[in-house]
Amino acid sequence: MTLDQLSQYITWGLYLIIFAVVVVRAVRDPMRANFDIALLFGLPGMLILISLLTQVGIVSAGHVTSAISGSLLLGMGYMLVRLVHDFTNIPAWILRVSELVLAALVVGAFTLDSSTGLLILAEVIYLLVLLLFVSLAFIVASRRAGGVTGRRMAAIAVGNISLFVLFLIISLSVIIPDLGKDLQAITELIGLASAVAYFLGFATPAVVKRAWQEPELRLFLQRAATLPRLPETKSIIAEIQYGAAESVGAPNASVGLWDEASNQLIYQDPQGQKLEIPVDPESATGSAFVSQTPVYIREIKPSHHSYERATSVNIATILAAPITAGQKRLGILAVYADRPSIFADEDLELVKLLANQAAVVLENRILIDEGVRMRVQEQSTRLKEDFLSAAAHDLRTPLTILVGQVELMERRALRSPDAPLDIVSVQRLKKESYRLKTLVLELLDAERVEQGKLMSVRSEVDLVEVAQEACERHTGEHHLCSVQAEGAVIGMYDPVRMQQLVENLVQNAVKYSPDGGTIEIKLWSEHKENANGPRNEGGQSWNHLTVTDHGIGIPTEDLLSVFERFHRGTNVDDRKFVGMGLGLYICKTIVEQHGGVISVESKRRNNTSNGRSESTGNGSSDTESTGVETIFHVILPGIPVPALSGESVTASRQA
Amino acid sequence: MVDDDPSVLAMVTEILQFEGYNIQTATNGAEALAKVDQALPALVLLDMRMPVLSGWDFARSLKERDIHLPILVMTAAHDAYKWAQEIGASGFVAKPFHLPDLLDAVEAILTGEGGTTQND
Repeated sequence: MTLDQLSQYITWGLYLIIFAVVVVRAVRDPMRANFDIALLFGLPGMLILISLLTQVGIVSAGHVTSAISGSLLLGMGYMLVRLVHDFTNIPAWILRVSELVLAALVVGAFTLDSSTGLLILAEVIYLLVLLLFVSLAFIVASRRAGGVTGRRMAAIAVGNISLFVLFLIISLSVIIPDLGKDLQAITELIGLASAVAYFLGFATPAVVKRAWQEPELRLFLQRAATLPRLPETKSIIAEIQYGAAESVGAPNASVGLWDEASNQLIYQDPQGQKLEIPVDPESATGSAFVSQTPVYIREIKPSHHSYERATSVNIATILAAPITAGQKRLGILAVYADRPSIFADEDLELVKLLANQAAVVLENRILIDEGVRMRVQEQSTRLKEDFLSAAAHDLRTPLTILVGQVELMERRALRSPDAPLDIVSVQRLKKESYRLKTLVLELLDAERVEQGKLMSVRSEVDLVEVAQEACERHTGEHHLCSVQAEGAVIGMYDPVRMQQLVENLVQNAVKYSPDGGTIEIKLWSEHKENANGPRNEGGQSWNHLTVTDHGIGIPTEDLLSVFERFHRGTNVDDRKFVGMGLGLYICKTIVEQHGGVISVESKRRNNTSNGRSESTGNGSSDTESTGVETIFHVILPGIPVPALSGESVTASRQA
Repeated sequence: MVDDDPSVLAMVTEILQFEGYNIQTATNGAEALAKVDQALPALVLLDMRMPVLSGWDFARSLKERDIHLPILVMTAAHDAYKWAQEIGASGFVAKPFHLPDLLDAVEAILTGEGGTTQND
C-alpha cells in the first residue's frame, strides 16, 4: 500500500467516523441542524462506498457511476449552505438559487455526456463558489462565537477551505491533465486535512473540547478572581454578565439573584435598575433554577415571566444554568442569543461552568460582606466598652463627692448637733448634683440621638445670652471666657439644646486647655440675599458662633472624626482627660437637626500677630498669641429676612 | 492630697481636717512634686488620671528622686487595685468611697499596718 493509498483510507475512515457520530447525535437530539449535518456526511459516506465498490469491481466505473458521484459532491456543497442557513441569517434566495442550480447540474450529469467539458466546468464552478461562500460564513461565525463553539466553527471553516483548494486543483487538472498526476500526493493530503478538520469540527473528541474550553474559562476565572473585592454587588453582577456573554460569544447575559423570602429572581437591567421576576418553572431561567440543571431553550415563549421579556432584549434562544454554591441556591445565569446555535450543547456546558464560577465569586462576596459586618460589630463593641469605662469614671467623680460630703455633714452634725448648717458643703452638694444631672442627661441624650428623638419645641433664642451664661459658668481661676457680639443673634431654636450646644463647646474648650488661658466666643449674623432668585423672595440669614481655645489642639488626622460618637482625639491621654466622647457628637446632632453645620479647625499660630481678620478687642489676646488655636465654628439658620419689593431692598441696602 | 477635680479635693480636705489631719493639696502630679520638695508628707493620697503629670508619672518621679513615701491611690476607675499595684502603692480607695473606709485606709497606713486595701 502506497502512502497515497494510506492517506486516502485514513481520509475515508475519518469521514465514516464523522458520519456515524453525527447520525447518533441526530437520533438523540433531532433538531434541524443535526439532521442537516447527518445528511451532509451521508453524501461523502456514499461516495466512499461507491469508490470502494468500484475498486473491488462490484460496481463498474461508467457514466452512471460518475454521474452519481458527481451529484453526491454537488450535494455536499449544497448541504453546507443549508447548514450555514441553520445558524446564521442568510438571504433565502441564495438557498433557492443553489437548489435550482443543483437540480439542473444533477439532471445534466445523468443526461449529458460525462466528458462534456462545459458540464464539468459548471459543476466545478458551482462547488467552488459554494465552498468559498460557506468558508467565509464559518469564519465570520467562528469569530463571533466563543469557546468550543467558536473553535469548532473555525475547524469546519478549515475543512471547507481544504475542500475548496482540493476542487481548485481538480478543476485545474481537468484543464492541464499532467498536473493531476504531479499533484496526486498533495490532493490526497488536502483531502486528509479536510477530513481531520471536519472530524474536529463535527465529531469533536472530549479531550479537544476540554482544551478548547480552557482559554475562555481561564480568562473568566482571572477576571472572577478580582471580582469579590469590587465595592458593590451590583458591579460584580455587571462584570459576571459581561464576562459570560464574552466567553460564550453571545450578545447578552443576565444574572438573577434569588430572593428566598419572595421566591423572586432579582435582576438588574442594562441601566442598573432592579427587576424582580417571580420564579416561573415554565420559563427557561425558572426551570433551570427549579430543576437545578442547565436548560437550553431554542425558542422563547412570550407568555413566560422572564428577564428577557421584561427588558425586551432581542433574543431567540436562552442558555440558563443555576448559580449554586454547594447546597446554597444563589441564583441563575442566563446567556441569550439571537439565533439558535448549531453547537448549543457546547455553549450550555460553558454556561454551566461559568455559573459555577459565578457561584464561587458571589459566595466569596457574601463571606467578605459578613467579615466586614463582623469587624464593624467588633469595633462598635470596643467603642461601647471604652464608653462604659469613661462613663463609669465620669459618673463616679460627682458621686464620690456627694457620698463623701453627705457622710461628712452627718458626722459633723452628730458630733456638734448645735452647729449651724455649713453653707459651703450644701453648695458643693448642689454643684455636684447638677454635674451628675448633666452627665446622666448627656447619656440619655446620646440614647435619644440614636433613636432620633432629640429635639423638642422651638422658640426665639438669643445665642448671645446663651453664650454669656455659659461663659460665666466657666470663667474661673484658670480660664477666662469672653463673648464678643454686636447685638442679639436670634433664631428659632430648641432653647434647651442651644444651651447644651454652647455649654458642650465651652466645656470642651476648658477641658482641653489644661494650662488655662482664654476662651473666646464670637457671634454674628450674616444676611444673604437670594443671588439666583428674584429679588422679592427675600434672603436667608445665617447665625455664626465660634468658640476658640488655646489648648492642646486637634491633630489634623482627627479633624474629620471629632464629631463621631465615642471619638477621642489621638493626642488625648485617657488618663489625663476624662470623657465619654459624646459631647461633640451631640453638638453635631443638635446643629444638624437645626439645619446648620459645625466645623473645626486647629492651627499653630504665629507669635507676632494673631492672624485672624475679625479679632479682637480682647486685651488678653496678646498673651495668647502663641501655641495652638482651636476654633469650633457653628452656622445656624437665622430668622429669614422678610420678602421685600425690589425697591425697598435697594433702599435698605443704601441705608 | 492630689486630685485634678477641685470639688473632690475640697471635700477630702474637709474630711481629713475635720478628723485632725494636717493636709496640703495639689491639682496635678507636678504641683504635688513641688510640695513634696518643700516638705515630706507622711502619706500621699493620689488620683491617677490627671492633666500635666499623671499619678503614674508622679510615682515614677518620686522613685527617680529616691523619695519613698506611702501612697494611697484614690481613683474613680474600677481598676483602682491594678493601678495601685502598678505604682507600688501602699493601698487604694475606689471612688465613690464611704467616709469610714477612707479614714480606715489612711489610719492603717499611718499606723504602720500598710497594705490595707479598701473597696466600695
